[in-house]
This record gives sequence, C-alpha cells and structure tokens, in this order.
Amino acid sequence: LTTEVLVPADLSADGAAAVVMWLYDDGDVVGEGSVIAELVVEKVDVDLPAPASGTLRLLVPHEAEVAQGTRIALIEMQ
Amino acid sequence: VTVTTRTKRNLTVAKAMAEALAQEMRDDPSVVVLGEDIGPLGGVFGNTRGLFEEFGAERVRDTPISETAFIGAAVGMATSGLRPVVELMFVDFFGVCMDAIYNLAAKNCYFSGGQCPVPLVLMTSVGGGYGDAGQHSQCLYGTFAHLPGMKVVVPSNAYDAKGLLIAAVRDSNPVIFMFHKALQGMGWLGTVKGSIVDVPEEPYTVPIGEAAVVRPGRDLSIVGLGLTVHHALAAADSLAAEGIEAEVVDLRSLVPLDRATLIESVSRTGRLLVVDDDYQSYGVTGEIIATIAEAGLAGLRAAPRRLGYPDIPVPFSPALEHHVLPNAERVAEAARAVVRGD
Repeated sequence: LTTEVLVPADLSADGAAAVVMWLYDDGDVVGEGSVIAELVVEKVDVDLPAPASGTLRLLVPHEAEVAQGTRIALIEMQ
Repeated sequence: VTVTTRTKRNLTVAKAMAEALAQEMRDDPSVVVLGEDIGPLGGVFGNTRGLFEEFGAERVRDTPISETAFIGAAVGMATSGLRPVVELMFVDFFGVCMDAIYNLAAKNCYFSGGQCPVPLVLMTSVGGGYGDAGQHSQCLYGTFAHLPGMKVVVPSNAYDAKGLLIAAVRDSNPVIFMFHKALQGMGWLGTVKGSIVDVPEEPYTVPIGEAAVVRPGRDLSIVGLGLTVHHALAAADSLAAEGIEAEVVDLRSLVPLDRATLIESVSRTGRLLVVDDDYQSYGVTGEIIATIAEAGLAGLRAAPRRLGYPDIPVPFSPALEHHVLPNAERVAEAARAVVRGD
C-alpha cells in the first residue's frame, strides 16, 4: 500500500514551486507529520509533512522545479 | 527484551536552533530573544521561526539596524537578570558592537569579582561560498576565540546545534554561537546534506568544550569545525578508497578547546591536518598545531599541516571565491601530502 506525496495545490497563484531540500534519503522510514521536505513558493519556504508513516521513495531530486499537484514521492506503508 | 526503534526525526540546523530556543523560553521566563528580523520573519536564517507567534513581542524583539544599540542593550539585560539571546545577523558586522561584546560582556564578571555574570548568547552567521562578498562571508572564529571571557561554539550539524544552543542559554558566561550559513538548511544558501540529522524532540545539552571524533581512522587526524568537518568527511571517503584511513575530529567548541581529544587522536594517528575556512594566520589552525607541538608527542610521523583560507578579503566573483575556499578535494590532496610526507 503506498501513499502519494503531492505538492499542495493551493500554495501560489502561478502554480510554480521547487523542492528546496529533502530532509530524508530515499529508503528512510518516516513518521506521519514529520517534515520531509522544504518547498519554496514565491520566495517563501513551506514545510511539507509526511502524509503517512512508512518508507520514503523519492521521485524528484533536490532543487527540482515542480508544479502544484505533482507527485514528488511515495510512502510505502507496511 | 523489547527493542523499540524510533523513527528518525531529521531537522535542519535552523529548525533545531528554533526548537532549542522555544524549549528554553517555555522553561525559563527570563530567556528573551532580540535582533534584526528575528520576530515575525523568523530570522533571515530561519533560527527563530515560530518564536514571535508563541512568545510575543515582549520576549521576541525585532530591533532597529543598530548593532551598537541592541547588542549593548542585550549586555545590559544579561547583567540585570535576563538571559538574552541576541543575533548578530552576519559576524562581519561585529565592528560596530565589539566594545559591548569584548570589553563589557566578556569582562564584567571578572571586573565585578564574580558578582555580575553576563549570561548572554550571541548567535551569529558565518561563512561564505554563496557569492555574498567580503563583508558577508567571513568566519572570524579566531577573532572571537582569541579574546578571553567568552565561550565560542561552532556546530556542524542539527543535533549539536540544538544541544550546544541549550547549553549556551543555560551557561552563566557569554557564549558566541557561530552557525555556518552553508549548514543552516536555508534553500537560498544551499545546504550540506550531512548537517541534517536525527534530533530528539526532548531538550538535551551537548557539553560546551567537548570535541567529537566523528569518524575513526588510523593514518592521520583531520581536524575541522563547522563546514570544514563535512569537507573532511567527504575527503575521508575518497581517501579510504585509496587505502588511507583518516580520523575526523569535529572541534564543536573553540573556547574551551578540548585539547585532550586532539592530543589523544594525534598520538594514535601520528599525523595532523587542520582545516579551517577562517583566515589562516594567527587563528584556529595555528592554535591546534601549537597544541600538538606543545604536547611533545614522541610518535609524530609527519610535520603537521594546515589548510586555511588565505589572508585576503573574500572575493565576490564565484570563480575567485571557490578558488580560495577549502573543499573536499583540497582536503584530500593535503591529507595525501601529509601521509606521503611531502
């Protein structure tokens, strides 16, 4: 069972965002609610919490530009 | 036996510092924070994020752009019952407030026969590498560590940043807390991944004055602080592939300096390389090498060597700046030269 990690859809007017940094590595176990990434939207940093607990699978690298709603990671639940 | 595995809780240095301050402020109403843009903005380096919302304008004070005034005020606060944490946004700005720091904060306890301690924490950002030129890129570790009466700490990762900051707030001496911009976890500065580590939620201290052996090795000791610890660790990885096992020592604290750990490490490895991104002459690298020289170790296998920042202003041009800053490749090359005995 996997949960998708999406760029929130309501962050900015033009829909552009970037992954500033991942705080965990691919394959790390994360807890629901832990901040797993920082995004930047219109020069403002936004914390991205894990939507579920499980094993993190990264789909985009650091500093990737991403549109709102983009799937940027998966969390594999036990 | 029940083994519970805790899920890692990775934080940036910025978040770890903000958490440390919030926990100390909850615990002790005399702790206040002041500085430029540390209120609603949360600090240009993110280390006071959330404090204004939780503790309000009385305890989290945005100040005008006058370090002379507000750092002087912080020293007065510390002398009259508060425990202020004041931010000097860039260490490069110390010139206009140094009298309050080194003539007042650092000496009042001594002058008063111990009756007027100054429990002040001065947080300040250090380091370059992001093209901010010669007045926003210096480290000045040696400048502060040279002057008596102040403790000086330099964390290299989020765990140490939280523990050292809590220890600093609880310390009755002035503590200069120097955080490196490249490790802070602010996107616009770039961030060294190794600075983002697992941090316990509950408050804890990292004792001021204890270095850490962050990688064991038998062939040479590479001593660094802040950012250069990460250069040393990366260099140690590439050296290991060549059969050279480097030990890496993270100083963590310049005052007090953990000379015992340095001497113990070099007495085992017999070789020393010190890496620093502060100006080389009359500074940290010389103090470390002098410590080893004075110890008179019988088993030294090579002359100690240092890789510092040359004694010139930090250039604005990225091509020039990166030409003179230490990096992992230069650390590895210097380490090879020590081991070869060049």
